[in-house]
Parts: sequence; C-alpha cells; structure tokens
Amino acid sequence: MVNKQIIDNYRELALSLGASDFAHSGDTVYIVVDRERLRGLAEALYWKKNCYFRTCAATDETKINGFLALYHIFGDDRNGLNIVVKTYTEPNNPVIPSISDIVPAADWCELEAYDLVGVEFSGRKLYRFMLPPTWPKGLYPLRKDTPYNYRPGLPVSGERISESPVSAVVPVGPYHPALHEPEYFELYVEGEKVVDVKYRGFHVHRGIEKLAETRMTYQQINFLAERICGICGFEHSVCYAQTVEKAAKIDVPERALFIRSIVLEVERIHSHLLWIGVAAHLLGYDTGFMHSWRIRELVMYLAELLTGSRKTYGINLIGGVRKDINEEKKKKILETLELVEKDFKKLVDTMLGVPELVKRLKGTGILPREEARKLSVVGPVARGSGLDRDIRRDLPYAAYSYAEFKVPVYDDGDNLSRLLVRVDEVLGSISIIRQLLDQLPRGEIMAEDIEIPEGRIATSSVEAPRGENVHFIITGRGKPYRWRIRAPTYQNIPALKIMLEGENLADAPLTIASIDPCFSCTDRIYVIRGGNRYRMILPRRY
Amino acid sequence: MMGKLGFVKILVIAAEAGRVTRKYPYEPPLVSSDFRGKIEIDETKCIGCGSCVLACPPNALVMSDEGEGYRVLKYFVGRCIFCWRCIDVCPVDAIKGTREFELATDNVEDLDEAVIHKRASCTECNGLYSTVKQKAYVMEKAPITENYVDKCPECRRNKLLRAFEKRRGGESLE
Repeated sequence: MVNKQIIDNYRELALSLGASDFAHSGDTVYIVVDRERLRGLAEALYWKKNCYFRTCAATDETKINGFLALYHIFGDDRNGLNIVVKTYTEPNNPVIPSISDIVPAADWCELEAYDLVGVEFSGRKLYRFMLPPTWPKGLYPLRKDTPYNYRPGLPVSGERISESPVSAVVPVGPYHPALHEPEYFELYVEGEKVVDVKYRGFHVHRGIEKLAETRMTYQQINFLAERICGICGFEHSVCYAQTVEKAAKIDVPERALFIRSIVLEVERIHSHLLWIGVAAHLLGYDTGFMHSWRIRELVMYLAELLTGSRKTYGINLIGGVRKDINEEKKKKILETLELVEKDFKKLVDTMLGVPELVKRLKGTGILPREEARKLSVVGPVARGSGLDRDIRRDLPYAAYSYAEFKVPVYDDGDNLSRLLVRVDEVLGSISIIRQLLDQLPRGEIMAEDIEIPEGRIATSSVEAPRGENVHFIITGRGKPYRWRIRAPTYQNIPALKIMLEGENLADAPLTIASIDPCFSCTDRIYVIRGGNRYRMILPRRY
Repeated sequence: MMGKLGFVKILVIAAEAGRVTRKYPYEPPLVSSDFRGKIEIDETKCIGCGSCVLACPPNALVMSDEGEGYRVLKYFVGRCIFCWRCIDVCPVDAIKGTREFELATDNVEDLDEAVIHKRASCTECNGLYSTVKQKAYVMEKAPITENYVDKCPECRRNKLLRAFEKRRGGESLE
C-alpha cells in the first residue's frame, strides 16, 4: 500500500498552495483547488513532485451541484499514486486558467474540454480541435442538456491540402497508407528534410462517451469499451470494468483477475507482433512482415480458444470474467507459447541481421528524454526514450503483482529503441503468462451481488501495448454519469512533431508508425467533414 | 553469432514453416471449439420475457408489440456482436450459441429472425399484457393463483387497493 508519509507530504503541499479540500482513498489522492490557485498547484505537481500528466476531464455537473468541473489527473508513478485535481467553474462564465504552458501534455485535453463541454481556458489560444469547423457555436455535445442523438446538418466536404509559399507540402492521409486508419498529416519539406508537421485527426470520433452516459447500462458498456480500439480493445474493457469496480468497491475473485492478466498479455503479444510486421513492411522488408504475421496467427487462434473470439473478446463484465481456463486450455497455451517464443526469437535475430533494416531504424525519429518527459508520453515511446514507467509495475492492477518481470528501457529514443522495447516486451509477456498460469488460483470467476452506488469517483489505468489507458468515471444511476477515456496514442501523437522535424522524408512513414498509433482510439466523436483550412494543432516546441 | 549473411537464415525459417495458408473455402474453416458465432432462438422455449433485449449491448435483439395482440422478438444478425450475453441471461435456455459465422448474403431479409408471441388478455378489462407463455411460466414457477395471473398489472393493482380499502373500511381513494 502507499506510504502514509507520501500522502502527508501531498497533503502539506496541497494545503500550503491553497487547496480547499484534500482526500485520499486507495491509490488516489483528491484535491479541490480554486481557479486562481490551479496553476501554482499544477506546476508544483508536474515539475517539483515530478508527476506525469495523465489527462484532464471536463464534466457538466450542473445536475449534481450546479457547476462545471475540470478534473486534472496527474500520476506519481514512482509512488503508485493517481492525483486528481478538481476545479469548479460557473456554467454561465466557464473560465479556468490554462496550464498548458506549464504542463505541455495538457494541451490536447484542454482543447477537447473546450470543444465538447465548453470550458474556456484563459491564457492560451483556443480553437476548434475535435469538432468539425462548421459545427454550430455554443453547442457542446457533452453537456447534459444536449441529447445524444442530436445531429446538426453539416455540409459535407473533404480534407483540403494546405499550400505553403516556402516549402513543399506532402500530405499523408486522410487514410494512413500502412495502418489503414483515418488521420491526416501534412509534412512540410525542404529538399529531403521535413521542416514542419501538421496533424489533423478526430475523423472517427464516434461519441462513445456520450453514448455510454445516455443510453447504455453498466454491463453493456464493457462491450462498447472493447470497441474503442481494434487492436487493444480488451485493455479498454478491463480498464472500464476495474474503474467501476474501484468506484463501487467490488471485490473481484482472484481467479478472474488472473484470467484478465493472462488475456491482456496474449493481446500484448499479438499487438506487438502486428506492429513488428507493419514496421518491417514499411521498411520494405516484406518477408519479415509475412513471418511476423504468421507467428501472430498462432496467438490469434489462442485468443479465440481462450475467449471465444479472435478480437473483441467479450469476456469482461463488472465483477469478473465470463470464461474460465481449464486444464486442457492451459496445456494448449503453454504449447503455443513455446512455439511462438522459438519462432519469434529466430525471426528477430534474422531481422536485426539485415543491415539495411537496422541502418534505417538506428538514429531516425529521435525523441530526446527531456521532450518525452515534457509531453508525458507513454508506453514503448516513453520506454524507448529512457523514461522508466510501466503501469503494470507502478500501479499494479489485475494479477500483475504476482508476476515478476523486467521493464525494458532504452535511452536512444530512436526507432530502433522503440522496436527493441517491443521485442523485449513480447518475451516478457510470454514469461508473465507462464508465471500466472503456474499460480492460477481456484475459485469463482464472477463476484456475487454487484451494487454500484451513485456519485462515486474513480480513475484507473491499464498498460496497453501502446501505453497507458486512463479511464475516469463518476458513477450515476444504472450508467456512468461521466466516463472519460484517454487512449495512449492521444498522449503520443504530439511527440511526433519532435520526432519528425529534421528527418528525411523517406523515414517519415516509419517514424509515424513507430508510436504504434491507433487513431480510432484517439478519436471518439463524430465523423468530421470540414473544408476549411486547418490550423496547426500539434503543440509548439517548448 | 550473426555473420554478414546472417539474414539468409530466413530461408531456413521459411522452409521449416512450410505453407501456412489454407484452401478455405474448400477446406473447413479454422475456428476453435470455443468460437462464438450466430445465436439460435428456440421459439418453443422462448417465453417473451425480454431479458435478452435488456442485456443486448448493440440492440441486435429488440421487442415490439405488433398487430392485434402479438409481441415480436426480433433478432437482426447484422447488428449482432456475438457476445452471447443473451444466452447468459435467458431464464429458460431458449437461446443457443452456434459456431456459424459465414453469414454473408445478397438478401438483407436473410439476416432477420423473429419469434412471435401471443399476448395474454386480462380477464377483467380485456386489455393486453405480457405474453401467454410468460404467464404460464410464472404460474409454473411461483405459487400464485390463476385468478391473480389472469389479470393485467393495472387491474391487479386496483384489486389490491380495493382489498386494502375493505380491510381499513375507508373510502375509495378515487
């Protein structure tokens, strides 16, 4: 459990900086602070206490207390703590000071809060970020009085390529040539060198949060959460379930926690194998792509055997899991893992023996450690840039506290480092599954008597293959009052600007892919069709 | 260990792996024993209680009252996510999971299935409520009289209120 001394330090810090309320429950610290004092507290947390920034969640609480609220979620990973800082604001003049100059990682989520809930931020430039440029002013989708099925008639148009008098523009997208997902990059090049980057995303924002808050029930949302991402969906459904379980203080049977961890690791293996294949393909090494995906197929079959489906496993419910692992399946898992491990080691050896491949990975797409820290990047991107953070170790969830594993960290911050992190993680996952299968406890897999009281707040994170997922929930009657999702790519895309600047154009596709982007997780609302010229929405260099 | 020509080892790996593609659809598909496919509803067992409709995340199962005294449970495969939550919650085990997944068709009506239930009519006001089968299920499972079940919820409530009035000797509430 968390050291009492650390909590007391936080209490002292918060109260000395003018916090009006302080509470602590489990691994989460709650602080309420006035608007005027928010910036001071954020600076102390982010730079003095060396916390990471997870996300912020704006909430329309007019039905509870008549205010709009903004929750900034910080993470003190070294001490295994979440720190939730709440600020109130009036609905008729919702202004909160921006912290994006102190905490660069908060840039995107502030813009999201402005677009979707209508919270204004003083001290920064605000612009349309997620919603289409033609979206009516003053209509905020996540306000409680906006119906979920309201669709303003918007003119349909495509993505327009910007023109620049100085440098040539190379558009990448709106459909990624390798990852088959909609996003839009504009690369400004001079000769072979990329000098600037613009990103336009949120083409597939599907309104998942709003849908869950208005017309689904607690147990149905597990299946919706799984559909946030096509590759790491199970992480989202685990994260949702465990956040609700945390809010409602539901005791989940140990066996269910073990099964969750095992399936999560199966998903990590197949996701990394997919990425390694795609990376090889982008480098023109299609042999590697074919073999990586051949090995992945064994894992996909295993996933189907364990859960009933190759993807979107659908075995998670609040309170436990729906499918047990028997002896026969246990044997099959171990057999498959042995095959996968053997083949994977051989393949990686061979791949890294191709000199051209290594040359193109080494020293390209560099993200220095300081920049990575400023932007609070997550997952293999963080670990490839020397940041030693992994939610599985720092805030253990499911059954990870029963397994021993090493968190791979590489310091170079280039594409090769990110590849090596993923290679090590595949082998780590195989070892975790073996350890957990060995200790799999007997017993039930589903908690009895699930009761979810109203008005509870909880946040929790899950280490997905791409980095940490963060879910934040305020419980309501029969469904969440507010459900905020932060997918890992959301935190990693801003780092692309730093990786790409000064790169050769030929290395751009690989560098973009090197964060293993998942655009559909990052986007969550409406189909965006707008014809205006888009502004730069990647952060400035700090 | 890796010489300059180390990457040629891929030829060995490829030879060991052999051909992995299958001649599907000329061969049986590669789905495991635990695969979740389309569901089948046994209309003889279904009582039209609507549990599955409440549990279904994507609204693939919906229920509506149609025509003169019919309640219809509709299953549209096009929306189904094959989660089998309906199977979990069905009180009479009327829904069965299959491993069927080859559901493509050129006629969208092939994707629709329906179970038609006759609704029960109230012996007092002749109004429609529940379904005939659900009524029978309740009588079988719970020790209550036909006299009670044969009335619609509204008449039942009124009857109860009247009983209270008699006992208390008070005046009508209306």
